[in-house]
Amino acid sequence: MAVNGSVPNGTAEAPIEVPALPTVIGVNFGNSYASIAEGLPESIANEDGERQIACAIAFHGEETYIGNQAKQQLVKNASNTIVGFRNLLGKKYSELPKDTATASAPVIQHPDITDEPAYKVQVLQASPSPLPSAVNTKTNTPAVSQTATPRSEPVLVDRVLTPSEVTVIFLKSLLQSAEDFLGKKVDGAVITVPSWFADNQLEALRKAAHAAGINVLQLLEDAGAAAVTTTSGPQAAGLNPDRTQLVVDLGASSLSLTLLSIRHGLFHPLASSFDPTIGGDQIDNKLIKFFAKEFTKKTKTPLAVCPSSDKADIRAEARLRLALEHTKRTISASPGAATCSVESLKDGLDFTGTINRMRFDMEARPIYSAVYSKARELVESVGLDFLHVDEVVYVGGSACLPGLDETLAQGYPESTVTAFASGTIVGGGVGDPTTLLARGAALQAKLLAEIGHSGEDEEVRRAFEQGSKWAAVKATSRTIGILFPEEGADAAGLGGQWIGVVPAETAVPVRRSLSFDVDLGDDAGEKKVGFEVWEVKEGIKVEKVKQPRDEDEELEEDEEEDDEIEVKEKTIEKDIHLASLVLTAKHAQKQKGRWRTKLEVQVLLGADGAVEISAWEVGKEGKGEKTSVSVPSL
Amino acid sequence: MADIVQIPTVIPPLPPNWSPKPASGKSVSPLVDRKLIPAGPAYLAHIRRAVHNLSFEEHDKHVEAERKRLVELNGDGTGEDDLGVGDEEEAPELLLLDPKEWKKQDHYAVLGLSHLRYRATPDQIKIAHRKKVLKHHPDKKAGVAGDSNDDAFFKCIQKAMEVLTHPEKRRQFDSVDPYYELLEEDVPTASQIKSAKNPNAAFFSLFAPVFEREARFSRVQPVPLLGKYEDSKAEVEGFYDFWYNFDSWRSFEYLDKEVNEGSDNRDDKRYTEKKNKTERARRKKEDIARLRNLVDVALALDPRIKRIKQEEKEAREAKKKTKASTGPTKAELEEEKKRAEAEAKQKEEEEKVAKAEAKKAKAAAANAAKKARRAAREAEGGAS
Repeated sequence: MAVNGSVPNGTAEAPIEVPALPTVIGVNFGNSYASIAEGLPESIANEDGERQIACAIAFHGEETYIGNQAKQQLVKNASNTIVGFRNLLGKKYSELPKDTATASAPVIQHPDITDEPAYKVQVLQASPSPLPSAVNTKTNTPAVSQTATPRSEPVLVDRVLTPSEVTVIFLKSLLQSAEDFLGKKVDGAVITVPSWFADNQLEALRKAAHAAGINVLQLLEDAGAAAVTTTSGPQAAGLNPDRTQLVVDLGASSLSLTLLSIRHGLFHPLASSFDPTIGGDQIDNKLIKFFAKEFTKKTKTPLAVCPSSDKADIRAEARLRLALEHTKRTISASPGAATCSVESLKDGLDFTGTINRMRFDMEARPIYSAVYSKARELVESVGLDFLHVDEVVYVGGSACLPGLDETLAQGYPESTVTAFASGTIVGGGVGDPTTLLARGAALQAKLLAEIGHSGEDEEVRRAFEQGSKWAAVKATSRTIGILFPEEGADAAGLGGQWIGVVPAETAVPVRRSLSFDVDLGDDAGEKKVGFEVWEVKEGIKVEKVKQPRDEDEELEEDEEEDDEIEVKEKTIEKDIHLASLVLTAKHAQKQKGRWRTKLEVQVLLGADGAVEISAWEVGKEGKGEKTSVSVPSL
Repeated sequence: MADIVQIPTVIPPLPPNWSPKPASGKSVSPLVDRKLIPAGPAYLAHIRRAVHNLSFEEHDKHVEAERKRLVELNGDGTGEDDLGVGDEEEAPELLLLDPKEWKKQDHYAVLGLSHLRYRATPDQIKIAHRKKVLKHHPDKKAGVAGDSNDDAFFKCIQKAMEVLTHPEKRRQFDSVDPYYELLEEDVPTASQIKSAKNPNAAFFSLFAPVFEREARFSRVQPVPLLGKYEDSKAEVEGFYDFWYNFDSWRSFEYLDKEVNEGSDNRDDKRYTEKKNKTERARRKKEDIARLRNLVDVALALDPRIKRIKQEEKEAREAKKKTKASTGPTKAELEEEKKRAEAEAKQKEEEEKVAKAEAKKAKAAAANAAKKARRAAREAEGGAS
């Protein structure tokens, strides 16, 4: 009972305090699959419990299917199912390749708009409600309607949809899923886009998102989203904040590789490549062929697939393709064999086949090798070697396959960190390639939502837009570091302890602070710490080493030549001496008969190329006196 | 973002013949143009510095201000308020507890409330339970540990929750809280306090926590606590008065032997029940004796009692002294007497005078009345 202002039962007051920050999500909108996330380690699942939502829309009668349900329609209702529409956004009909055969609704020229691609699907239009009679009669009395009495049954009509209209429908459903999951209205989103999207494509996507009711905070390129995810949160052990990262995005329909230079969370692409001919679909094709052969062997029924021409074969191929999804997931998750079962594959015959990982990798090997050679090409195009790649990040559903990592592992050294090596790929770990982009976009959305709204902040916000002038920066071309001379060090080498401070490809201005312990020897006299600042040349030394062999082995293959393997090593060569710095240690403390102190060195590299190096001791009472030396600007 | 990179290597000492090379005067190699990807917090920081034209130090300050602004927007930085429950790591031996032996477990430690114990509010218990369940639910452990049947600690948590949310059961457990049982054993002794550097301060620092933790058993709340050295006599007396008449709710049902439910033997049950009852009574008696003993020890050692006695003695002596030294002299006394006598005389005389006058007035009044009556009679006679 509501007595004297007490709260009556059933008030609609929010039970928890709602933070003032807006609700934002990240959307990974791929050509084949999409995912949504909201800053949590796991991405958001849609109503059907899918975290990887297929970019497909199917029309069947009065129903519209979106996502993985729509994919199922590819078997029996292929002509009314639309897939792969994202890449057509903003494109003209004349720009599209015409010869591609698809199992889904074909792309046609829009009947009304010139040079506009479109899809034609058949839908049942719901029986129209009785038309209102002509209302605006002069006497305002009911008058006879001019139109014929409408039919009460749904009519089969052709519906023409442009790619951007399809995108609107799809994005709307994503937004709906996110809002249902969060229970809150979504205020904004960051959507990922491939780096090769042209301006008009970006514009088309922006418009479509706007029409779907999404406030686009930023269109972030895929590699950026991947880098945001991998640079935020707890970092894997052995991962330097300054590192070169190779983002391998192997989606269903394309491969894109990006080599990023990550410098304390600030990153820029060194090189990128895109290949629409390599993708998970190619792996699918190989496997479909494999299973079709097995089917023929088992049942003596001919099944010609990839390409298939007969209607029954086309349907069988679509069935296999859907079933393979599950097989691929099983292969990725466990080392054992995976099955592929299709009921009534062709002529009413069921099929169950198994494939183990070795066989699977054998089938997929050509695709893996293609990725490997592409990656090698990319790394070498900027004068680097696989040795310089500190981290490999896998993105996309097909990148979950362990065989891909095994193939690439032949190239890069053991120290390179991958999600496979650190075991974060399965079970929604941080390295899960299927959700990595959506999570990165969500983190970015959160960052953008937190920017204030004052005048200067607006300028900051604009800096996140595509092609902002603020994104253009200068970067160092060589590594700058400090060298602590050491007694008895190899004179031919660097002659001391080398610590790289500002690596090459670091955007300026930059500040780096280092802290370390210094051994000051065992005599009690005046103690000095000194170091030189050098700019160095980095290279790669290739050595051929003879493989040591076991003796009994030697007996067998005596006539064979000795195996030689190449051993690569990074080399550093002193080039330009920038400055030297000496300071007297005053806060040294004796530990086990040696004098020790703690030193902090800060290197400031200005936008004009001027360097300021400062060093101070850190004692118990805090920072000691600061000693600085500077290098003139360019 | 002045994050300092810790370098694990130790720098060797300088070679004796090393001297700093003069600067070459050369600059760094020419910079190259690059295009950053506009994403990530570091890019935001970079843009802030560029747009506002800040140096790194100025930006550090700006970041701090921004953080505060966001904390305000979010309510508090951590998100939800856990009422100070915090996150207690379980000790490894705690995780090995057997739920069958639940009577022996420390329910507060299981729920991660060992820093609050009897002070934990029902809300805090609820929050702590939720936290622990989130962490130890068997569903959550299934994939991680591999052994999906390892729900022993989860059962312990549920048992702890059952005990602590039931007010009566919680009191029973609080009565025999193992943490305090241990503390109860080391009560400060006379020798401990006497041997301390400052026995006065030692008394208060050692006994205050003892009384504080005993206070939780009192039915009457609030309980007067030990207080401080300067307390008045009334306060100190009130304190000891309260503690000698301490009304404790402490009970020992928790330690009862289980009645053997399996046996149908009524006598058996009754026997166990009877035994439990006597055991409880014995424990209660012991507890009362223990507390009494404790108060006795405290009273005997209390420096305030000594101080108050001393003060009272001093006050008595002072009184005596003032009586002896400042009493009135004989001459003065006589003078006083005389003055009083004179005053009395004067008063008497005044009274006499007043009486005489009153007599006179009365007589005059009577005369006047007689005259008036006579005149009236004459007038009457004349008229008739």
